Amino acid sequence: MAALIAGLRVIVNASGVAGAYAGRLLSTLGADTILVEPPAGSPLRREPPFLPDCEGVSALFAYLTAGARSLIADPGTAEGRAALAALLREADILVDDTPIEDRAERGLDEAAIARHFPDLIHVSVRPFGASGPKAGWKGEEITLQHASGEGNLLPNGLSIELFPNRPPVKIYGHFAEMQGGIAAALGALSALWARPEQGGQCVDVSIQDAALAVGAFAIQRLGDGSIEHRVERSFRYGGVIRCLDGYVELLTLEQRQWDGLVKLLGEPDWARDPALADALERSRQGPVINRHIREWASTRHVADIVRDGQALFVPLAKYYAPGEVLHDPHEAARGLFQRVEVPGAGMLAMLVSPFHIDGAPLALRSGPPAPGNNARARAAVEA
Amino acid sequence: MGGPLEGIRIADFTVHNAGPFCTHMLSQLGAEVIKVESVMRPDAFRKPHPVYGRMGPATFDQVASTKLSIRLNLKKKEGVALAKRLVAISEIAAESFRPGVMARLGLSYDVLSTLKPDLIMLCISSSGQTGPDSGFAGYAPLFGAWGGLSGLTGYADGPPVEMRHVMDHTVGLNAAVAVMAALQRRRMTGQGGLIDVAAREVASSLLGEALLLAAAGAEPTRAGNDHPRMAPHGIYPAAGEDCWLAIAVRTDAEWRALATAIGEPGLAEDSRFAGAEARHANRAALDPIVGAWTATLPAQEAAERLQAAGIAAHASWTTAEIAADPHLWERRMIVTVAEPDGKERAAVGVPMRLSKCEQIGIHRGTPKLGEHEDYVYGELLGMSRAERRSLEADEIIY
Repeated sequence: MAALIAGLRVIVNASGVAGAYAGRLLSTLGADTILVEPPAGSPLRREPPFLPDCEGVSALFAYLTAGARSLIADPGTAEGRAALAALLREADILVDDTPIEDRAERGLDEAAIARHFPDLIHVSVRPFGASGPKAGWKGEEITLQHASGEGNLLPNGLSIELFPNRPPVKIYGHFAEMQGGIAAALGALSALWARPEQGGQCVDVSIQDAALAVGAFAIQRLGDGSIEHRVERSFRYGGVIRCLDGYVELLTLEQRQWDGLVKLLGEPDWARDPALADALERSRQGPVINRHIREWASTRHVADIVRDGQALFVPLAKYYAPGEVLHDPHEAARGLFQRVEVPGAGMLAMLVSPFHIDGAPLALRSGPPAPGNNARARAAVEA
Repeated sequence: MGGPLEGIRIADFTVHNAGPFCTHMLSQLGAEVIKVESVMRPDAFRKPHPVYGRMGPATFDQVASTKLSIRLNLKKKEGVALAKRLVAISEIAAESFRPGVMARLGLSYDVLSTLKPDLIMLCISSSGQTGPDSGFAGYAPLFGAWGGLSGLTGYADGPPVEMRHVMDHTVGLNAAVAVMAALQRRRMTGQGGLIDVAAREVASSLLGEALLLAAAGAEPTRAGNDHPRMAPHGIYPAAGEDCWLAIAVRTDAEWRALATAIGEPGLAEDSRFAGAEARHANRAALDPIVGAWTATLPAQEAAERLQAAGIAAHASWTTAEIAADPHLWERRMIVTVAEPDGKERAAVGVPMRLSKCEQIGIHRGTPKLGEHEDYVYGELLGMSRAERRSLEADEIIY
């Protein structure tokens, strides 16, 4: 196990996905991460989806907090503030998503943190950040996807072709909030890098900013005079292709990939039209090309198409369901999943991390914590 | 520049989007990123491409901004030797070729780490450096497909939805976190290291809870804009053509506030909508009521009214609306960048504000190919004019 940031202590005082995910990333990279929960438990424990056949065990909470320890403390009380302060004195990083208006009374405002914990990296994660005219706005995943651009730009491809008049559709799960978490982890480690020269500082992360950052190309295209819309951003050919037993994604950007595709299709007469040697002409004839590809794929199995196509360097992938990712031989070989104890649900395979370090996958220290399982932190607080 | 990563140099061999976005983030945080291309093989995204049916602007400018550019022909052994000299004076080498390409060039981590033992090398690929699919070619839509994210995205009765460049950039943002963690280890132990980021696994990491459900025997499926508990929750019509409003109601208090805000206070007493469970069960009846109100107002006005009532709501913003947002400008997330030809355009900054490093973000526009060779080859590597001219003539600096 390669624990890159072993020895770092991270305190997560977060009730939202973004802050918790920042803690999860840092924990998986090796930090000792402590989740501060109110007496009723983290609100994330009550967030769906819930694991089947067990009473109210949140799959979301389990994923977001695996590897962390838990301490019960309520920053709304003097006792809780003292407990949190005891933790922060020994911590390197605080990730906090307390609403801006509640921070001062809980001793969690930027000035108080800087005064009492001058070496602490104080990471604030809020839907619209801690500063700016909309800092007080509420945000949920779906509203944040639409505040940051990608929400309005989906669906595309086959989906919008089939349903041109429906409202836009969101990306599954907590895409924008997780971007906020990833940006928060990046900000935490960047500020930590500068700590020897600069001491502690505040990192102000906005989920809207983070989701916009990963959608930056739309802004670039706007600057170049081109406005993206979900209808026009469809690939002219390829994209989502229906096969006998599922869907395949096809995208050829380079000439040799097109050449490989023609071979995969069995070099039919239509594909050997000399005009199609030109990439722009192929785009112009995209709907015709796609009609042929769809007809060809409709009688074939996804696995055969992907195997034969990839052998010809044609970028093709199966649209996997979660169970297929879980049982994928490639991911088994790479150790993407690790069995951990999920309190209330038993041992389950959980995704660890998309990183390998020095040739080996990372490892989870544990499953999610039972409430207040952190004996060491409690002892420190009581001392 | 004063960013937290000032003093960190990155030899950047990455191409396309995922890798360049990682070094784009790090360059905005103060790292000196030297982008390596050649006349023979410029970054494929430096050139216009017809992927959307037009030879329109490529998607290169955003991620190349604030980087330095040199020409270096890695097809020649002298070019490879020069690349090694560059890596030897860098803290980080980053690449995103198909696994095996750097080794064939003689630039594998094993080779480079003998030149610089504490080197951190970042390798980004579609499926990782190991495993049976490691040789597979891929782009963003394929990462999303393999990783399961696209299969769960879409209308419940429709097909999966392709992920676009947000998928690439999520890979890059994650990779930047791993690089910073590796730098931290180097500081503590003196040890460099090899970071292998698999893009399809980054996609999977965004649905960890669904994968856990699958591990427990459930079969998560596409659900469109539905939330497993919240209602109202979705995209509602606003006044105007193709105008929409996103609303999510989490609590009973928010529901009561919404009922009042839309002029239907009696709804709060309606037993069909009493409690989250009832609202969710009866959302087919609830959504048209909410939609009838939203359709009468411009999305921005409706969002402001609902936010004033304490409800999470936001207009479904087009790119132009985002680019005009005063909040994003104040946070320096939208900035104006001047290109070398003097033209200005809007660009997106780095998604954080640091209280002691206010200068982070984009400082320069897109570099011209080879624009910074005087600095890199001349100042950093101490090469004479004559030496450089000779290498240019031999198509090594080319």
